[in-house]
Amino acid sequence: MANNAVAGSDDLFQRKATGLLRGWSVWDGFIYAAFSINLITLGLFTFSYAPFIPDGSLMLAIILAGLYLVFQTVTYASLIAVMPRAGGDYVWTSRVLGGGLGFVLAVTGWWFILWHWVPIYADLLNKEVFVPLAALLGLDGTVAFFSGASGLFTASMIVAVVASLYVSLGMRAYARIQKFCFYGGLIGLAVMIAILLFSSRSDFVSAYNSGAQDLFGAGGNAYQATIAAGEKAGGLSTSSAVYPTLLLIPFLAFFNLYSNWGATLYGEVRGASDFRKNIYAMAGALVFTSIFAVILLLLFAKTFGWDFYYAANANFWNGEGPVSVWPYPGMLVAMLLGNPVLQIILVAVLSLWFFGWTGSVFLSSTRVVFATAFDRVLPEWVSRTTNNGVPYAALLLMLIPSIPVSYAYAFGDNFATYVLDAVLVIAITFLGSTVSAALMPWLKPDIYNASPIARYRILGLPMITVVSIAFGVFLVFCIGQWLFNDLYGANNGQSLIYMMILYAIAFAMYAGFRLLRRAQGMDLAMVYDEIPEE
Amino acid sequence: MISKLFSREPDTRVYFATDIHGSETCWRKFLNSGKHYEANVMVLGGDMTGKALVPIVEEGKGHWHATLLENRRDFESEDEVKEFEESVMRRGYYPFRTDPDQMSELESSEELRDKLFHKEMLGTVERWMQMADEKLDGTGIDCFVSPGNDDQFEVDEIISEAKRVRLAEGEVVEFGDFQMVSTGWSNRTPWDTYREEDEDDLAERLKKMTSQITSPPEKTIYNFHCPPYGSGLDDAPEIDENMRPKHGGRSLIPVGSKAVREALEEGQPTLSLHGHIHEAKGNTRIGNTLCINPGSSYEQGQLLGAVVNLDGGKKVKRFVLTTG
Repeated sequence: MANNAVAGSDDLFQRKATGLLRGWSVWDGFIYAAFSINLITLGLFTFSYAPFIPDGSLMLAIILAGLYLVFQTVTYASLIAVMPRAGGDYVWTSRVLGGGLGFVLAVTGWWFILWHWVPIYADLLNKEVFVPLAALLGLDGTVAFFSGASGLFTASMIVAVVASLYVSLGMRAYARIQKFCFYGGLIGLAVMIAILLFSSRSDFVSAYNSGAQDLFGAGGNAYQATIAAGEKAGGLSTSSAVYPTLLLIPFLAFFNLYSNWGATLYGEVRGASDFRKNIYAMAGALVFTSIFAVILLLLFAKTFGWDFYYAANANFWNGEGPVSVWPYPGMLVAMLLGNPVLQIILVAVLSLWFFGWTGSVFLSSTRVVFATAFDRVLPEWVSRTTNNGVPYAALLLMLIPSIPVSYAYAFGDNFATYVLDAVLVIAITFLGSTVSAALMPWLKPDIYNASPIARYRILGLPMITVVSIAFGVFLVFCIGQWLFNDLYGANNGQSLIYMMILYAIAFAMYAGFRLLRRAQGMDLAMVYDEIPEE
Repeated sequence: MISKLFSREPDTRVYFATDIHGSETCWRKFLNSGKHYEANVMVLGGDMTGKALVPIVEEGKGHWHATLLENRRDFESEDEVKEFEESVMRRGYYPFRTDPDQMSELESSEELRDKLFHKEMLGTVERWMQMADEKLDGTGIDCFVSPGNDDQFEVDEIISEAKRVRLAEGEVVEFGDFQMVSTGWSNRTPWDTYREEDEDDLAERLKKMTSQITSPPEKTIYNFHCPPYGSGLDDAPEIDENMRPKHGGRSLIPVGSKAVREALEEGQPTLSLHGHIHEAKGNTRIGNTLCINPGSSYEQGQLLGAVVNLDGGKKVKRFVLTTG
């Protein structure tokens, strides 16, 4: 036995004891954070909304939001430093602001709303994988199928099955799959950049006209027709005014608000270095993704032409133009390859960005369901697992509701509009954690003062408070715009009522289980009560 | 049907916490937990002792410096030093005062560091037992403590001398109609700790202990520091050969004991209490047995625990995991 004390760094002597780990790799943390904000899958789709605000600068908005959201990464790195291994938004909010608020915000933002993200993921799967691949393979019927309601529902079921498979395989397997997909996806991104870099505008015009004819039956000069239709619809970029640029940011939140997804810390807390590493991983991913987004957009401007890029996206949303499918940049770049096999390979390799990310729709949710069950707010059976450790009950609680939700999204008359607030609900959950962070030094002084960040102050205030207020301003701005500005389509009355119903169900669940536990002699106040020290 | 939803008056309410690793705050909270949660029985699982020594180096003329959580601190008065010492103890580390010469010796001598660790760890446990004797006297609450794989064997001797705390390691103890058997031994870990052994040896140890139980399963509790393999209560970050978490800590693997799992499957006690893996807070069922690992946040001064109502039924139904 070797229980010898070892000379630690920084004037600390440690002995060999269970759980003492060396620091994790920032690069690994970076990979998983980069996957959460996923430039190819989420980013490129989000940028297609830019023509709705033609007088704003998309690139400037990406840079501003990317830099500003560093406050988000510092806020979450601070929460992790103060309450590590806590399990995320639910635990932070419930421990600081109260169990009821923590439950309602987490259950709506991490559980209920992710049922609605299944068809959203499916829509991306269709637009970025199935439709382009089917088009490149010349399967016109398949293109039509995956562009319609049945295709959307089918893709939703594929998303649900793939996400369930990842959850069933466990975190070890999923971490490996994600890493494989990241490196494969990076190769695809590098190839995409190289093709854009070494192709001229005339190469693209010729390739697009040819591709539009061969793949989608759009004859004539489809390139010029696209720009003309976009211009007619007022969808071309006109200027770079400041306020319209800021108004693009709530659109961008659909893609860049999630660098904190899965933020946690394992092993013992060493101190400030762990805090910094979390910032490096999350903020690094955010800044890296934002930089690459701008590089891609610059290359789109060079090779596709900025007017064409805006017009193609505007046409898709307006239902105009010679090509009816969404102008997925991966497919547009693939058109430049000429060779159908290479085209298919490029789109397939880029699809790794989607498949490495798919698990996020269920994985974090199952964690929240477990955390609430451990707090006895939900019944014990929801935390049951198979002998192999598959959390089947929590998984079914994600999977089963996602089926009717996907069906209603695909085939319902108005249901798709109910889902418009999907990002808003997540932002409200993040706002709960942000308020918890801001108030932590006062509401949980003992825990805060014992943390490695307690010494950091800005203008005499705790740093965690200052950065979380800064991030809170971002969230409030976005939430305000979504709620009160018609531009985003998210202030649809039916959609808001539907979301309020979800909050009401969560509140009723909390109140009901709290009353039940009290009747059973197990007051849930015990979960959050602090035992006096003296 | 509806009446089943509501509880019978429990025969016994147990409060369980574990892995406090030298945290003064957690120990003080533990001593108050019985009263706070109205529990008849308090059980502290293993790993009471801390993992680090924090030197406070005298630079002369009333100046001191120390480093905690990678933050260097300088002190100009005795009060400042005392305040720092308290913050170190709250975290579960052992502060000690020294000078540059002794620091040099400690840095170069493993033996000296071992001796100092020994002295600080055992001294703290001794002081804690005195606190327990004072605090629990007259409360009528039973308090059981069983050291874990990170605790050296001398800890047992100190606990066994306490008046109001009972050493539970390797013993069948009774409260009310219930019997509880405890051990802090675990399967092998990468840290080569005090109380770990191969699965076969652990299985043998557990068999010897559980064979002494005379109560029926519904009146039996296993308090095994190590969680059962593959239960979810044993999910820990996968580490590489340099003890670094793989995949940024996101890859989790089961590291619990197969021997413990077999013992639970065979004995089917109504309740099993575990710790060891701080990240793996939760509860699960193996057959009729409710298995609990409340996790540990000792560094933050939070005493994670579990309140369990035992009513002698076939299955434990009323329990809650707490964040004290």
